[in-house]
Amino acid sequence: MMFSRPLFACAAVLLATAMLLGGGLVNTARAAGVAAADWESYKQKFLDGSGRIIDNGNDNISHSEGQGYGLILAYLANNPADFEQIWSFTRTELLLRDDGLAVWKWDPNAKPHVIDTNNASDGDLLIAYGLALGGAAWSRTDYTAAAKGIARTLLKSAIVENGGRTLLLPGLEGFGKDDREDGPIINPSYWVYEALPIMNMLAPSDRWQKLADDGKFLLRAMRFGPRRLPADWVSLASQAKPAKGFPAEYGYNAVRIPLYLARAGVADRMLLTWLAEATTVSPAATGTFDVATGQVKDTLTDPGYRLINHMVACVVDGTKLPDDVRRFEPVLYYPSTLQLLSMAFIAEKHPECL
Amino acid sequence: MRKVLATAVAVIAVAAAVYGLNDPYAVRDHVFPSGGAAEQAAPKLMVMGRVRGPDGLPVAQPSVDLQFEHTSSTGAPPMQLSQADAAPATSAPVQAQSSQPVSGTPQNTPPQVDESALRYFAARNDQARLQAEISRLRALYPDWTPPTDPLAVPQNGDPQLENLWRLYADGRFAELRKAIADRRAAEASWQPPSDLIERLEVAEARARLVNASDLKQYQTVVEIGSQTPALLTCSEVDILWRIAEAFAETDRDVRAKDAYNYVLKNCTDPQERLATVQKASAVLDYAAMQDLLSSEHRNEDGSGEFDGIRDDLSRRFVAEANEDPKMRITDAYVSRVEKLAEDGSLASDALLVGWYRLRREDTGAAEKWFRMAREREDSASASQGLALCLIAKKSPQEAEDVMYRWRDDSDDAKNTYMAATANLLAILPPPVLAEPVLQRIAAEVIKAKDEASAQQFGWYARNFNQPQTAARWFETALSWKPDDEPSAYGLVLSRNQLNDQAGVAAVQRQWQGRSVRIANLGETTQETLSAQQFAQQGGQPPMQQYPVQQQSYPVQQYAGQPVNNIQPMQQQPVAARPVPVLPLNAPAPIAQTYAAPVRTAANVVNTSSRGARPQRGCSTTVDPDGLAPGAALSRGWCLMELNRPIEAADAFGAALKRGTGQVREDAAYGQSLAYLRVGLTDNAAVSATQAPLARKRASELQVAILSNRATAAFDAGRYRDALLFLDQRAQLETERVDLMVMRGYAYLNMKRYGDAMQIFEAAAQTGNREALRGLADTRAARNNDY
Repeated sequence: MMFSRPLFACAAVLLATAMLLGGGLVNTARAAGVAAADWESYKQKFLDGSGRIIDNGNDNISHSEGQGYGLILAYLANNPADFEQIWSFTRTELLLRDDGLAVWKWDPNAKPHVIDTNNASDGDLLIAYGLALGGAAWSRTDYTAAAKGIARTLLKSAIVENGGRTLLLPGLEGFGKDDREDGPIINPSYWVYEALPIMNMLAPSDRWQKLADDGKFLLRAMRFGPRRLPADWVSLASQAKPAKGFPAEYGYNAVRIPLYLARAGVADRMLLTWLAEATTVSPAATGTFDVATGQVKDTLTDPGYRLINHMVACVVDGTKLPDDVRRFEPVLYYPSTLQLLSMAFIAEKHPECL
Repeated sequence: MRKVLATAVAVIAVAAAVYGLNDPYAVRDHVFPSGGAAEQAAPKLMVMGRVRGPDGLPVAQPSVDLQFEHTSSTGAPPMQLSQADAAPATSAPVQAQSSQPVSGTPQNTPPQVDESALRYFAARNDQARLQAEISRLRALYPDWTPPTDPLAVPQNGDPQLENLWRLYADGRFAELRKAIADRRAAEASWQPPSDLIERLEVAEARARLVNASDLKQYQTVVEIGSQTPALLTCSEVDILWRIAEAFAETDRDVRAKDAYNYVLKNCTDPQERLATVQKASAVLDYAAMQDLLSSEHRNEDGSGEFDGIRDDLSRRFVAEANEDPKMRITDAYVSRVEKLAEDGSLASDALLVGWYRLRREDTGAAEKWFRMAREREDSASASQGLALCLIAKKSPQEAEDVMYRWRDDSDDAKNTYMAATANLLAILPPPVLAEPVLQRIAAEVIKAKDEASAQQFGWYARNFNQPQTAARWFETALSWKPDDEPSAYGLVLSRNQLNDQAGVAAVQRQWQGRSVRIANLGETTQETLSAQQFAQQGGQPPMQQYPVQQQSYPVQQYAGQPVNNIQPMQQQPVAARPVPVLPLNAPAPIAQTYAAPVRTAANVVNTSSRGARPQRGCSTTVDPDGLAPGAALSRGWCLMELNRPIEAADAFGAALKRGTGQVREDAAYGQSLAYLRVGLTDNAAVSATQAPLARKRASELQVAILSNRATAAFDAGRYRDALLFLDQRAQLETERVDLMVMRGYAYLNMKRYGDAMQIFEAAAQTGNREALRGLADTRAARNNDY
């Protein structure tokens, strides 16, 4: 924690901005974290009229994660109408569980569209976070109330203690200590660090801070295989190790870990550079990796993926971003989302890198 | 320290941002101000409770409930609710989520009726929505008169609003949300019509409720319902059903009933009313259903509107009554199902009433229905019901036969089968059971480790004077249930009869202080006296062999046999003997003396061997192969005296192996008899050829062997073979009356009625009851066939 800055700075600043603008007058002046044109292209590509964010890399399904990202991006683009649209779908089609969490997946090709009622805790976190942001920015008490309900349930059900550590269960069913032999299973990329202090606002508890601290502690301990990388899915039954039944890989889940750390204001050079260095395949590509062999599985060249390591270089060394990762020409939902989140962060916090 | 401080500052900043407050803990009051929309009465609808937890906050699982009746402030009884005449509600904006600032709308002044939706639906010729909107507005504004021509409603000069209504009508709610927000951003002074917002919220809530209902998220369903009274009306019967289902699935049957009742008391669509009763009957109990059915309307012809489903309702009520013998239902429902069973062809209807009668201990009536059900379609349930009736009326033999096929169908089926066997073996005087029946019962008893039937096997064996077999069954019963005093008593009686004094002593030691009758065994009692007399008669029929003089006929094999004739015949010889009065149903008369935990079987062996004294005769176990042929032969006869034929056969075998001349002939004869006694007819036949036998002995063995074979063939249904063996036997010895009867039944089963009549008539000359019965059976069968 030697270089740590106030953990909550990033989120707090964004929200404080909203506060200063006051009441219902948000539409006028706030500087958008996501440029209107970029948001427009993103919407064209991934936002359906029904308000669902389409994951076009996954058979056009939608999920709670995507809806959460959509709400946050609409907030960052300062577009309450799009926010409203995305929220309508989220609430009507996903926020159905008795406990107030969202069902995790919605498939346009399945009947009924929802088959599995399990939740995805990162999706819930993202939705609650987006609602809190929108509720504050536009004085929408209904958004804030909905965010609170989700935060409370996450605190009660998804956040558990294990071996003295506070964990986020990836879903309420199937990941716990008693649910499987190598349980509990965690996904280190489900820690949306920037959302945790906001959750503490919504459902006050010192466990949110502990969750953030233990998330980073556990992450540091996940150095598997020759590349010494974390895995998407990790068993904490004894010593942390890749979970059975999942590919032992630093995969598409894990690639966003440095983004989440940076956006939450973590400036720990060793923590950030560890992941950036271990995942740089070439100057023009990052990748997913088999943690057992250290071999590259997929080479990732989409600017949205590549931007992440450049963002780390910007945060730790003030390195300027190359032009090609700044251009937003969305192709796939996931890297495009990561790219907008990265760009919004850099524009807000590190304009010197632009 | 620095970090903590910074964090605290940040927290306050965020809290202020999120809540516009300086005190993050004042959030609750801010976000959920007390009062508000939820408290207003909505008399035309069902008034909802507010969503809140114990702390006044909305919670994930709120203690939400729907109130299908008016709040006390209106004082109107729930029955008076109806869509048409409901009092107007102050338009109930569906609350909290609506952050659309309402300050600008004149909430407290009489609202203007916004007819733009009417015009819009009329223009689209959407009659359903048009009518729905008219009734909605009427309910809302009782003084309002609908325009005669909705198309003439002047456009309000707002084409954008037209577009919003179009999005609503198309169900594109997310886009409508966006369009409203866009317009508000563009025109700061514009307010969406409260009517549109209200309808949008209701429509979204409806979609969400249906989704949650489809995913069985019942808490969510109830919660949405409680927040959206506009959905709980007769125009949304499907929603009311889903609410009712959600209540039922979360163990709130009374509330479920209220929801169904709301439909029946208020809504008029005949199909929906009928479907409401059908849905309710799947989840509500009988009493609740009677309440609902009291709202049934009479048709003009006097029939009830639910007559069409009354059969199914009756079946459903009888089925429920079958789960609970104490439950009382109106007789009309029972007789309705009885009539259905009689007039129709469904086994299931007969089953329903069968169980209904059986559960109310009317086994006589129940038996009829179970037989009807089995005739239509044999099933585990029908057979089990019938078997229980048969056990109750003391016909366990048929019960066993009925149940055997279904014994493994379920635990209940197995228990019923075991009850049948225990009762069958316990009949007094003991019925003579066919060998295959005994064998299958024994196999099942052992498989199921059923101590009750094992014990009954012990008594049954004792009744046929087979103390050795009896002892084994009692030991088996004790190995499954070591504290079974009746089995221990049976064991000690049997060992005593076998002169196994060490064994007797072992049991007595083990049960010391726990059973008076076991301790007092040595004293002469009526029981022991009888047992001794029984044993002294010697040469009694072994259990699994049916000495021809008391062979019974498994008459139940004959399908036309009347039910009440199924009891096995009272065996003359058995009845004539002094049958010991044994505790056949084994209620332990001195059970209260049980105290100490039971010893293990190992103790029995140890104490027994320690106390063993040299034995005379053949009651100790020795290897007969070590004996001289003459000694082995003597031992064989001695063992036959003790009724231990298997060991006797071994001893005779030893004598056969090395003996010569007379010893050898005696051994072959003895072994053959021994095998006959245990039912091993084929072995007996082989033994009989091991040495040349005197003509008399050879003939005697041959007769016995042929009798056994005829019986076995008859029991197995091989009537032709049975007749063949009987014919062979008849060449050696005049056919006895009981064998004539068997022959008669063989003819009968082969439908050789003439032959059957002839033989039964001949046998009946002797006054034999079974022969007389055979005559009656034959006549009945012949009549049936013609």
